Amino acid sequence: MYILVLFLPLLSAIISGLFGRKIGTKGAGVLTSSCLVLSAFVSCCIFYETVLNSSAVYVKLWRWFDSELFTAYIGLQFDSLTAIMLIVVTSVSALVHIYSTGYMSGDPHIPRFMSYLSLFTFLMIVLVTSENYVQLFIGWEGVGLCSYLLINFWLTRIKANKAAMKAMLINRLGDIGLILAMIKILAEFGALDFSSIYSVMSLNEWGDVYSNSVGVNKDSLTVICLLLFLGAVGKSAQLGLHTWLPDAMEGPTPVSALIHAATMVTAGVFLIIRSGPLFEGSPLALTVVTILGALTAFFAATTGVVQNDLKKVIAYSTCSQLGYMVMVCGLSNYSTSLFHLMNHAFFKALLFLSAGSVIHAVSDEQDMRKMGGLLKSIPFTYTMILIGSLSLMGFPYLTGFYSKDLILELTYDKYYVAFAYWLGSFSALLTAFYSMRLIYLTFITDTNLKKEVSTKAEESTWNITLPLLLLAFGSIFVGYLGKEVVISNVIPPMISNTVKVVPLVLSLLGALLAFVIYDSVVCSSSDEDKIEEKTPLSQFGLKLFYVVYTFFNSAWQFNYVINHFIVKNVWKFGHLVTYRVIDRGILEIIGPKGIAKILISLTQTISNYQSGMVFNYALIMIIFTTFFISGASVL
Amino acid sequence: MYYEYLTVGVILFIFGVLGIVLNRSNLIIMLMSIELMLLAIAFLFLINSIVIDNLIGEILVLMVLTVAAAESAIGLAILVAYYRVRGTIAVKSLNLLRG
Repeated sequence: MYILVLFLPLLSAIISGLFGRKIGTKGAGVLTSSCLVLSAFVSCCIFYETVLNSSAVYVKLWRWFDSELFTAYIGLQFDSLTAIMLIVVTSVSALVHIYSTGYMSGDPHIPRFMSYLSLFTFLMIVLVTSENYVQLFIGWEGVGLCSYLLINFWLTRIKANKAAMKAMLINRLGDIGLILAMIKILAEFGALDFSSIYSVMSLNEWGDVYSNSVGVNKDSLTVICLLLFLGAVGKSAQLGLHTWLPDAMEGPTPVSALIHAATMVTAGVFLIIRSGPLFEGSPLALTVVTILGALTAFFAATTGVVQNDLKKVIAYSTCSQLGYMVMVCGLSNYSTSLFHLMNHAFFKALLFLSAGSVIHAVSDEQDMRKMGGLLKSIPFTYTMILIGSLSLMGFPYLTGFYSKDLILELTYDKYYVAFAYWLGSFSALLTAFYSMRLIYLTFITDTNLKKEVSTKAEESTWNITLPLLLLAFGSIFVGYLGKEVVISNVIPPMISNTVKVVPLVLSLLGALLAFVIYDSVVCSSSDEDKIEEKTPLSQFGLKLFYVVYTFFNSAWQFNYVINHFIVKNVWKFGHLVTYRVIDRGILEIIGPKGIAKILISLTQTISNYQSGMVFNYALIMIIFTTFFISGASVL
Repeated sequence: MYYEYLTVGVILFIFGVLGIVLNRSNLIIMLMSIELMLLAIAFLFLINSIVIDNLIGEILVLMVLTVAAAESAIGLAILVAYYRVRGTIAVKSLNLLRG
């Protein structure tokens, strides 16, 4: 049964990928969906056994390779972390599969799409169930590959191709960090399986107290943690390597829901949680993790506020929530991070899939400014997106509330990262703001749709609405049900009630602000004559507003800065130095071209001595005869 | 006491060499220079045979004289044949073959 959870998605991927032509569009949809649903049931059973009955399971499958003292096994490890991740991955993936059969209907390549989705799920399961870093790396690279395949699923679109390449390359930057960390771990610990590393790390504490005989070097531990964190930064789209995530919205919406809400981006956080014992040994790395996480949360929230693309708002919100998870990992509260990961998967998948439903209803329009007034035509989707948004902004008694507020409280408890708390709280305000803005612009405000689109806007078929409904239940109840299981070992910090209530107040304030501002903006923009008669001061204010708006709308100009100061220079370096100077220059001169040139000119010079003049021949002959004779006499 | 004769022989040989190297106009001068070189060598052989009191040198001189006579005969024959073909015997014009 434990292998079945891995095997079913693989089976459905293979059948739907290789025999998609035989089983047809409908067959592929039914097969992959049912396989994934079964897999989700199996993972529920695994959850029951490993978490509720608290009996972790280790399955050693076969020996992969040996080299001197190091042996890598293909093995599975089912502990509570894996079980919770499995629940998240398989359930969201099963719902996305069902959703895709409805959303992608009419697309000519559904078997391929389903195959990619299943393969992605399989590799994600490999990632979370592996018992060593090498096998984890298979899943790690595999989900990167599948994200590439899925993002440019519509491979005729140039933007999708570019986005997929960007995702792959930026992820690869993080992968280098993971590989280097693995090498360093192997050098320090001599093993790559988690159980050995954990036991060595537990020895390490003893080593610190009594003697340094068995301790692992602190500095190299910091290096390992920072490299691991680099991997997590790439995969989980933290500040600096986040630029691929918003671009990855070029893929179909179910892909965004699967990859960029529930599974792939959580792999980075999963890596940090898995390597928790390592991170515990390095306070410096933990501080870096917290700071970068808080900055990501803040950055993505500010950017999300001014995005106009429906999916990009949600993408930046994902980025922001990942920032929260990483931030709380840095405070050593890994279970809280995992809890938020789980909750986030449900409400973010709900948001993405609802957004897909909206996009489906308005005939593939993604710009929020061109929507509006959909409340009457698609009330079900509105309800779903409202549940998702309320859960996202941590409304009391919804899923987000249980993890998000706890994260902020835990951050407040650690006085030395006070700024992380304030960044996080402000992000909570902004999160509420952009969630409400999304709902307001899409559903409530006056419609900006074309008439033929808005009259045709209606709810989708059952296989789109059913996953939404199930995810909505998840978004409401998972937090409450899961909090005893996942964060039972977290001690809520002792802080005053006023502080406890601050994030909630900020969230409500943000939501209210969104309503007020967009109401007034809509009102003021209706009478445009007033814009002409502005005072210089307000004109300056308007200009400042535009500057700030552009800055945030272009995501703090990260793309611009990276392209102009890194990518462009690397390209230039590649062309000028490595290609023109080294490859076509130095290497060719000391290589084939230069040697040939020298040989040719040398032989020409030598053959010029044979001028055809007899007296020259005589002279040369005599000179060399003289040399010969004198040389002979010397000898 | 024979050093003067030796010097004369060497100088004669060098004159012969210079005659070949510096001469650019006439092929006959070149032949004559070769004769001069051979004569100088014969002269040196003779002197040396006297100095070391050995008869082989003189025998060699006789052979050299024979060879020189044959060589100049063949050389003149080639020269005549060449003149018939080209109509000139200038050394400068002997440059049809180059590297």
